Amino acid sequence: MSRPCAASERTVRAIQWAMAGAAVCFIGGIVIWITHLIRTAWRLGDGPSASIGISLVAIPVFLTLLGVILYVFRGLLAEAGGRIGPLPRPPEGDEQGGGV
Amino acid sequence: MADPAGTGDEVLLAPIERTGPGFYWVVGLLSLLVLWGAAAYATQFVGGLGVTGLHQPVSWGFYVANFVFFIGISHAGTLISAILRLSRAEWRRPITRMAEVITVMVLFIGAGQILVDLGRPDRIMNVIRYGRYQSPLLWDATSISAYLTASIVYLYLPMIPDIAILRDRLAKRKLLHTVLALGWTGTLHQQKVLNRAIAIMAVLVIPIAVSVHSVVSFVFSMTLQPMWHSTIFGPYFVVGAIFSGIAALIVAMIAFRRAYGLQSYLKPIHFRYLGQLLLIMSLLWFYFTFAEYLTGYYGSEPEEMRVFWAKFSGPFRVLFWAMAVTNFVIPVVMLLSLRRHTVGKVLVASISVLVGMWLERFIIVVPTLSNPRLPFGEGIYWPTWVEWGELAGSFGLFALFYVLFTKFFPVISIWEIREGREVGLKEVEERLLTYLPDHAEPAPPKAGAVAR
Repeated sequence: MSRPCAASERTVRAIQWAMAGAAVCFIGGIVIWITHLIRTAWRLGDGPSASIGISLVAIPVFLTLLGVILYVFRGLLAEAGGRIGPLPRPPEGDEQGGGV
Repeated sequence: MADPAGTGDEVLLAPIERTGPGFYWVVGLLSLLVLWGAAAYATQFVGGLGVTGLHQPVSWGFYVANFVFFIGISHAGTLISAILRLSRAEWRRPITRMAEVITVMVLFIGAGQILVDLGRPDRIMNVIRYGRYQSPLLWDATSISAYLTASIVYLYLPMIPDIAILRDRLAKRKLLHTVLALGWTGTLHQQKVLNRAIAIMAVLVIPIAVSVHSVVSFVFSMTLQPMWHSTIFGPYFVVGAIFSGIAALIVAMIAFRRAYGLQSYLKPIHFRYLGQLLLIMSLLWFYFTFAEYLTGYYGSEPEEMRVFWAKFSGPFRVLFWAMAVTNFVIPVVMLLSLRRHTVGKVLVASISVLVGMWLERFIIVVPTLSNPRLPFGEGIYWPTWVEWGELAGSFGLFALFYVLFTKFFPVISIWEIREGREVGLKEVEERLLTYLPDHAEPAPPKAGAVAR
């Protein structure tokens, strides 16, 4: 199988990091939204304790999800280095396998 | 086509490579349902909620029942898959992917019901700008957002090795597969990273999934409405969600088993195990239902009893008893013995449970609103063609999304099957030996050992 050219490798890598960026924007947007609701409740004196209580649980959950996403992107893409195209199957005993 | 794993798994890639006339027929039929739903929604969008059967005091009907039903089904995937992964149940391997796909698809459909129920979808902006966290509706929005995000990640991560197989073996959709494979070549480092991430997600999604349906129940139980204000609604809803989720998973498995010739992967033993789980959940559901209604009946509060009798012998009696038969009688009769005709019996029980659980959601939502605590006067709810169309369109959209997914990605995890052959057998044998009295305690699992 032919390896993709350098330009398409750059395109693929750009799309992959754009996916990671989209995850940051999506989860960051949710965290900002929750923070906005806390601020609004605080400003209006409208039961801010409920907002703070829920956000104390929700925000760390979203940040953990973001952490897992970025960990996978960084871990897999950094290891792949420049190799993003199909690679030949490794010989027996090589450290590369097919499964997880 | 080259064998993806060198072990005869090409049948798993066949639906992606070839498209037969059956696929187009199914997509065509489902598209008709979706079009019916779209026409119904367009009518409602133009005419407002007045074209539906919703009115005062019954302001929640099919849409909210659908919402609770679809969010419940979503527990099929992530929860069942995560529990089976964490408990290292080896029979999970051909099941997990199908379950995880169900979760993501129905969460979109379920969350969409709220937009439909709003009548004016632009009002969702009010929730975003001025939402009040004192409202359980906003707890719902937050927990479903977390669950949807977690479910997408939990579906995607275990797909990466399979997408790399598609990238390497298929000529079409090269860019899509190359991008989504994230440079996967299966090195030890990549395996370690992915194993660790899957293990974290498997642990994380369980409390999120439980919280989602608990919070869905809070929308009802935090009010003082008769037969809603109950302390067991959280676990009752979670049990119902897992119950309907298993049923949906079984129906999907049987449909794709037949359509794609997956009989050698989805064997009667898988259906027997899932059937046993379904039986346990049916008994649990009955226990919770019995406890819920007995407590209300024994208290004999006048407002509670009006709703109680409306369900037992009033205008909702047919639906109520149909719910009891389809959720308890039929599944128990079908699932008590699964030695013969396993797949057929499990399918009948699952379809029965899906019907019954939708009825249960309806029976929870509507009778209470028909007999409210406040002096609004009683009301009865009759859905119009708009709600029926939206219901049909929602089911059609879910099935259509699912069928289209199977044209892009393997519906059974290839690498997990391969891993089961290469590693699972030996690992199970070693683990079994450690359970026996003459052998040492099993060593604590290393981080990320779940999907080794």
